[in-house]
Parts: sequence; C-alpha cells; structure tokens
Amino acid sequence: MKAIIRAARGGLGGRRLQAVIIGLVALASTAASTLALAMLADSSSPFNRAFAAQHGANVTATVDTTVATVPQLAATAHAHGVTAAAGPFFEIPLTAQITLPGIAGSSAQQLTITGRSSPGGPVDDLYLSQGHWPDSDSQVVTAGDGTPGSTITVGSQKLVVVGVATSITSTSDAWVLPSEIPALATAAGARTGGSGQAQMLYQFSGAGTAAAISADVAALRAALPPGALAGTASWLDARQSEQSAIAPWVPFIIAFGLLTLVISVLIVVNVVSGAVIAGTTRIGVLKSVGFTPAQVVACYVVMVAVPALSGCVAGVVGGNLLAIPLLGQNAQVYQVGVLGVPLWADAAVPLAVLLLTAAGAVPPALRAGRLSAVAAIATGRAPRPARGYLAQRALARLIMLPRAVTLGLAAPFARPGRTLVTVLAVLFGVVAVTFGVGLGASLDRAITDGSRHAALPVSVTAVPPGSVAPGALNGPGGGAGSSGASQSVVVGRSLTAAQQQAAAAALAAQPGTLHDLAITEDHLSLPGVPAGVEVTAYGGDPAWAGLAPVSGHLYSGPDQVDVNTLFLTDTGTKVGSMYTLASGGRHLTVTIAGEVFQPGNQPDMFLSAATLHELNPAAGPSQYGVALKPGTDAQAYANTVSAVLGSSLAVTVNTGGSHLVAVVTLVAMLTIVIIIVAGLGVLNTVALQIRERAHAIGVFKAVGMVPLQTLVMIICSVAVTGLLAGVVAVPAGVALHHGLVPVMASAANSGTPPSLLSVYQPWEFLLLALAGLLIAVAGALGPASWAARARTAFALRAE
Amino acid sequence: MDALIHLDKVSKQYDSGAPAAVAEVTVTIAPGDAVAIMGQSGSGKSTLLNLIAALDRPTAGAVWVGGERVDRLSETAAARFRRRQVGMIFQFFNLLDDMTALDNILLPAQLAGTRAAAARERADELLVSLRIEHQRDAYPARLSGGQRQRVAIARALINNPAVLLADEPTGAVDTATGEEVGALLAELNAAGQTLVLVTHNPDLAARYTHRTIAIADGRITSGTSATARERALS
Repeated sequence: MKAIIRAARGGLGGRRLQAVIIGLVALASTAASTLALAMLADSSSPFNRAFAAQHGANVTATVDTTVATVPQLAATAHAHGVTAAAGPFFEIPLTAQITLPGIAGSSAQQLTITGRSSPGGPVDDLYLSQGHWPDSDSQVVTAGDGTPGSTITVGSQKLVVVGVATSITSTSDAWVLPSEIPALATAAGARTGGSGQAQMLYQFSGAGTAAAISADVAALRAALPPGALAGTASWLDARQSEQSAIAPWVPFIIAFGLLTLVISVLIVVNVVSGAVIAGTTRIGVLKSVGFTPAQVVACYVVMVAVPALSGCVAGVVGGNLLAIPLLGQNAQVYQVGVLGVPLWADAAVPLAVLLLTAAGAVPPALRAGRLSAVAAIATGRAPRPARGYLAQRALARLIMLPRAVTLGLAAPFARPGRTLVTVLAVLFGVVAVTFGVGLGASLDRAITDGSRHAALPVSVTAVPPGSVAPGALNGPGGGAGSSGASQSVVVGRSLTAAQQQAAAAALAAQPGTLHDLAITEDHLSLPGVPAGVEVTAYGGDPAWAGLAPVSGHLYSGPDQVDVNTLFLTDTGTKVGSMYTLASGGRHLTVTIAGEVFQPGNQPDMFLSAATLHELNPAAGPSQYGVALKPGTDAQAYANTVSAVLGSSLAVTVNTGGSHLVAVVTLVAMLTIVIIIVAGLGVLNTVALQIRERAHAIGVFKAVGMVPLQTLVMIICSVAVTGLLAGVVAVPAGVALHHGLVPVMASAANSGTPPSLLSVYQPWEFLLLALAGLLIAVAGALGPASWAARARTAFALRAE
Repeated sequence: MDALIHLDKVSKQYDSGAPAAVAEVTVTIAPGDAVAIMGQSGSGKSTLLNLIAALDRPTAGAVWVGGERVDRLSETAAARFRRRQVGMIFQFFNLLDDMTALDNILLPAQLAGTRAAAARERADELLVSLRIEHQRDAYPARLSGGQRQRVAIARALINNPAVLLADEPTGAVDTATGEEVGALLAELNAAGQTLVLVTHNPDLAARYTHRTIAIADGRITSGTSATARERALS
C-alpha cells in the first residue's frame, strides 16, 4: 500500500495541472449539484413539516350560520372521511381602521376576524410567535408579522393587538374571544345581529390530491343543509402558494445543476482519460520495477481520486454556503428552525461525483494495467498512429491561410473523440450562457410586466407624513406577512375631490407628463378564497398600467375585468367566464376578458373605475400613476410636482423589482460557474494536446516557427470547434429558455405572456454564438502562451 | 577570413551546482567548412549544436553566427534567425508523421512566409537533387530510414541556410544508409554548404569533414583552430 501511495504521490507531483483541473471540476459540479438537490428537497418539506406539527386543516369551510345550526355544524365532525374537526368558530369580515404605535393617523383594512377561545385544538394549532392569546374582550391576536400594541378599530369597538400567531393554512386574519364577535358584527353594521358566518376546520383521511379534496368537500356539502356551505379553502392551495416563493426558481436551478453535472462528467472523463493515456509510460516503468497490474491500476485511481476528493469536499462546503441563504428564508417562513442542506445530499452528491471520476479513470487504467511493461513504455513513448492525415493534407493546400493557422485547424481531427468531448463541453457552456441571458431578460420583463412601476414610474398619493402608508400594517420595520394566502391588505387613503382636482391639474401642466392614470384599490372577499381578491381600478386606458396579457385581452368595456392566473385557478374560472362579485350588499356580474401576468400568492383583478363604482360607490382613487415622456428625469419631475402640490400630497418615484436582483445575480453566478467549467475542459484538451505534441512543437520551433505562430496554431486548434459549438448551442439554449420559463411562471401561479419569451435580439444571437469561440480561446490561452514561450531545446527533448 | 560561426568562451549549465554541459568553449568555423564535433555520450556536443542554432541560450559567453550575435535573441528573433541562417538535421529525423514528405519539406518556407510558388519550386529542386522525387506524397511511416533523412535534409535546405547543423545524422540508420547520408552531406559541402556535424563516429568524421573538434565533459580537447584548408585558402 505504501508503494502505491508513494507512486501516486510522485505521479500527482508531475501532473499538477491535471490534478488542479480535476479538483476544480469536481468542486464546481459538487457545489452546483448540492445546491440543486437542496433546493429540490426544500421545495416541499418545510411546509409539510409545519403542517403536520400544527395539525393543519386540510379543508377550511366557510358556512352560513343562518342556514346551518351549531349542532348541525358540530355533527359534520362525523361526516364521511373526517378524522378531526374544530369549530364552529364564528367570524366576521369587516373593514377596520388600523393604528400603529408611535405613528399618527390610521388606515383602512379589510379583515376577517374569527372568534376562538384558544390557539390550540384538534385542528389548526396556531403558533403564537409574540405576546399572548386574548384573555378578555377588546383584545385581538393578528396573523403574520403584526405589531403588538397596535389597535384595530371597528366602529365604536376598539381592539388592542396583544399577540401575533401563525396558521399554517392562514385560516384567519385575526382572532378574538368568541364573545367579541357579536359586538364586532354590530359595530360593522351587520344586519343579522350576528356575524352570520362561521368557520369549520377539518382533517380528512384522504386529502393528498385535488380530487380527494373535492370528494371531501362533497361529503361536507352532503352533511349540511343545502346552501350552508358558502365556500372552502384547500390546504393544497396554501401549500402551493407558500412554496411559490422558491418554486419558480427550482426549474432553473435544476436546469443549471444538470448542465453543470453533464459538463463536469464530460470534462472529468476527458481529463482522466487523457491523464491516464499521458501517463502510460510511467505505468510501464512501474510495472517494470515490480508493480502488479492491480497495483498499477490502484496507483492511478488514487492519483485521480485525491484531487477529486478534495474538490468534492470543497464543493460540498460551497454548495452549502450557496444554499443556506435561500433555505434560511423558508425557515423563517415556516417556523421550523434553521434549514440546512439535507445530510443525504451532502453525502450523496460527492459520492456520485467521485464515482463518476472513478468511472472515467478505471477503464483506461485497467487497459494500461493489462499492457506488458515493454508495450506500455512503447505506447507511451512512440506517437500513436495519427488520425486526421487527410485533414492535414487538405488544409496544407489552403495557401491563402497562414501555415500556423492551417496546422492548428488540422489538430482537432487527430483526436476526434477528445474533440467531440471538448465541443460538447463548450456547447453546454454556451447553452448555459444563452439560457442565462434569456432568463435574465425574462426576469427583467417579469419585473416590469408584473408591476406597474415601470409603466407609471411616478405616483401621487394622499399619504401625509405621520400617516400609515399603504402596506405598512405590519409595523415600521415593514416586511410581508409570512402566510401569503390571507395577507392583510391596506387600502390607501382615498384622495378627496379637491386633491384629485389639484393632482390632475398639476400633472396636466407638466411638460414631462405623457399620461396619468387615476388608480383605485379595493379588496373583495371571495367565497372559498381566504385571500380574497386585490382589485385595482383604472380611470383610463388599462394599457397605460403596463399590464401584460397572457390570454384574452385587456378589459375594454363596462363590466369587463382582467384577472391573474391565480384568480382563475382559485375560482375555477377561465377567460370568458362570468363571475359575480359582492361587496357591502351589492352584487355585480362581470366578464373575465383576459388573463394578465401578475405572479404571486394573491388573486388580482383589474377593471375600470366605472365598473368598480357600480360595486362600491364609496371607493375612490388613492393615487395617480404617471407615465413620463422619453428623456424626462423621474426624480426631477417628482420634485417639481411635489413643489406645486405642497405637503397635502406625496409624490414618489417608484422603484420595483429589487427582490429579483438576488435571483438575477444567482443566474449570473451559475452561468459563470458553467462557463469556467467549460473553459477548464478546453484548457485540459489544449494542455493534453500540447503535451502530446510537445516534440512536434519543438520541431516547428526548430524550423522557424516564432512564438506568435505557436500561439496562433494552438488557439486555432480549438477556435473552430468552439465556434461550431456556439452556433449549435444558441438554438438549444433558446429552446431551453422557451421550455423552462413557462414552467417557472407556472410555479409562480402565472401563465406566460409572450413578452417573457420574446427576449432575444438578433444581434444577441451573433454574440452568443461567438461565446463558444470566446470560451475556447480563453481556455486555450494559458497553455498556448506557455507553449509559445517554452524554449525550443526543452520542447525538442520532450517525448 | 571572416568566421561564419564563432563561439567565445561559451558555457551552459542546466542546473546551478550541476556540472556544466559546456564549459568555456571557444570555436571558430569558416564559411564552406565541414566540421565534426565528436565526443562521448553526455560530452556536450548536442548542447553546442543547440547553442549555435539558438535553440538554447548559454549561461555565459557569446555566440556569433553570420555576423549576428544569437545568444541574446528573443524566442521570436531566434526563430527568425533559424529560418534564414540555419538548417537542422536530427538523429531521429523529427519529421511530422501526419504530413507528406513534400509538406514536411515545405514547412520552414511556409512558416517564413515564402511565396507558395517559389517554395514549391525550391522543394521540387531538392526532391530531385536528393533523389526522392517519387516519395513526395508519401508519409514518413512509409519511407526507409535513408529516405526519411533525405526528406529531413531537404527540409533543412529549403530556405537556403548559411549553415547546416546535423546532430548524429546517421545514428538512426544502418551502416549502408549512413554511408549514403554521409556522402550526401559531403556533396553538399563540396557545393559550398557550411556543415557542422555532431557524431560519436570517428570514421564518419574523418571521411566527410575537414576538421574534427573533440569535446569531453563540456570542454574542447582539440580542433578549435582554423583548418589547414582554411590556412591554405587564406
């Protein structure tokens, strides 16, 4: 064993470059694969763990208590398939004024408040993250990242927030003692004298699929009087919406992880095979001094395994470091502690990479081990019968090209197998670059198409200093609620008629104004959809708002609306369907004219101000969005308008999409990793080529080849293969982009507007094709420079 | 008479602390001369040849060839010098296996940027004069040792070099072929080609050169001065 290790150590010393390449390739593939597997494992497990720990409700039912009595509701605990039930918990949807401690003013918010005597129970065991459960009336616990000490005022009823709790399926926005509900209902102006609505929570024996949930809901409906079941929410929707934070990125992480693995496999096989072949002489010498074939094989496998193992260990560390920030985000959401890369991933990935390395090393080592000592030495010393004679001869006839160029162009034909592997490595590298460029552009479009900030960069709002700004319910520290499904919505303060007049006049007077749009925001409850729907009404052309149609068209007439994909999914509707909205006793049936791109966890609806007015006459614009003429500086414009309007209105420049910067950075990072790995493949090929042709290069130099010609020759030996790989890779990368982006959009609860796919410019195709050439040249430059600088006598002595 | 090649106290040490491969060698070779450098294996004769060809740099001393100091040349300048002034013939031919005989011969001219037609014409001349015109399209693997060496000689001559440097040109061939090669080199010298021949074969040196420089352990032991032929001609 000592002899093997000593021989292996000596061999490693003489093959430093190849050892480094093997180590780096193993590192990159291990890190990327560890990250990919960690993301995959994380995409479902945290929610499942939290759901089990909190005895989550498979089905949250909203029932009409004017139709079903409490005993009838309680009896549903024995309905077919029910394994556990909690409730009835009376609840009331209302509009409340929210006041935060230390901040003057308040803002309106629509909430559903549920009466529960305790956070625990057989179903939906609430996790109390701050404060305590109400122990008297006038106390409330809010969901998400609420702020204890805030007050929620409903008419004459004032509730103090004493705690913050999390329901894994977001069964409510806030909880009070059951005795509080009738008073709240009265304060909210309910006509029935009670809330008229209650919540039942169920666990079922079969609830793993949408079909099973449908059957469970049917069983409930059968167990209740007709019309009692007003709506239901499935835990599957909650799981999907929670996972949507990471789910959109999983397909691209998998794609990049796979690309890295494939390239790494190719390169490891190429490196290892070449290293063994280049070391055949050494193997022959070892055998001639007494090494058995098995010892020779073991020696060589150790030579390859040592750098590979080092690379794998470093790669596991790197993969964990890359994964932890992404996983930590989920840990915070699900209250399940700090998440890390699963141990099995940390073990399986390096093992797989090592096995791949061994797979590349063993066959050629076995071949050499079987050779006689003399044959091994002879094989190593004498040049192998050269292939590519025809190519060499044909290229020599191209007298219009410099001889150094034609010598280089002929080189790939001498070792077609190695050339093919190099082409594939560069090809996958360019596929990654092409895909990365397209994905970055699509993400950029997603930012602009998914929010109106790009189309309307300036906003005029009625938010005087000291008042609660829209969206700031959760405290001065900001931050979204963790359970997105029933995230509370702040409805901004409406502009008064005078403010509207002043704003419209000021904006019309500005030369930089292209157009402005009055924007009214509202929130409507939807039966069976705990989150309700965010409604945005425009007092003008909806195209000005930057909405991107996925299907259908933008609303164009009265009683037409546009919705996002999640609305269609949650309500079971489609483009062209009619849907009845309700608010404050009014009903309005609208036609869904189009599906627009608005990814996320919240159903969205867009309609005209006139349509919304039919449903909610009290709703008025809370802001004006302004589009600017080209060349207008947004901040300067905002400052000018602000000076005109004074302190009664706030004029702000909208910046959106910063949350996707991290993802774009990750895309760029992974693309660079793949480019480096592909470049290492080229470097290895060129290094092997130089080693094999060292003597020939010495002859070239002896007969008058200057260093620049040597450089050109070696660069040309990979340039054409790189260019070819690039030309083939670009359409493949585009195809990958077109295939993956819809998958990612779907994971973000959205369809794919054409604008997200048509992101490549013609000139980009040319540059991307040249990327293959660039990768090849970059990989070859190092060894080519070395060969050019090497002294001729040294090269001539090489064998 | 002006020297074509002049080595002035040239030394070459590959590793510090190791014995010098060449130690303080001073040699003068005149144009048209045929000189053999003789010595045992490891005596430094091939190193000396490499220094003359600017394939390597001395650690001390100066090397002049054709009036140009070559020991300080950059790699680029050294390669250009070799194109113009030097033709190299190696023991094991150093032909490129994946090129035909013609392409091997043309290579130095192509690297030097010689016009294709002119290079081709010169190559045809050499193929005929060296009696290998029928092997122009053959690959080295199909040639005999003697034919390969002829191809190597043709390659060395394509750019009309001032000096022909031959390192053990008969070392890899049989005796008869060695005689052929020796005679060929003598023929070239008779036509005016300066020849420096490295060999460990005293018979080859005696028959085909005018002067023999003996080298042992990196030091010249005899033959550095001008030959009787040079003295007779001056």
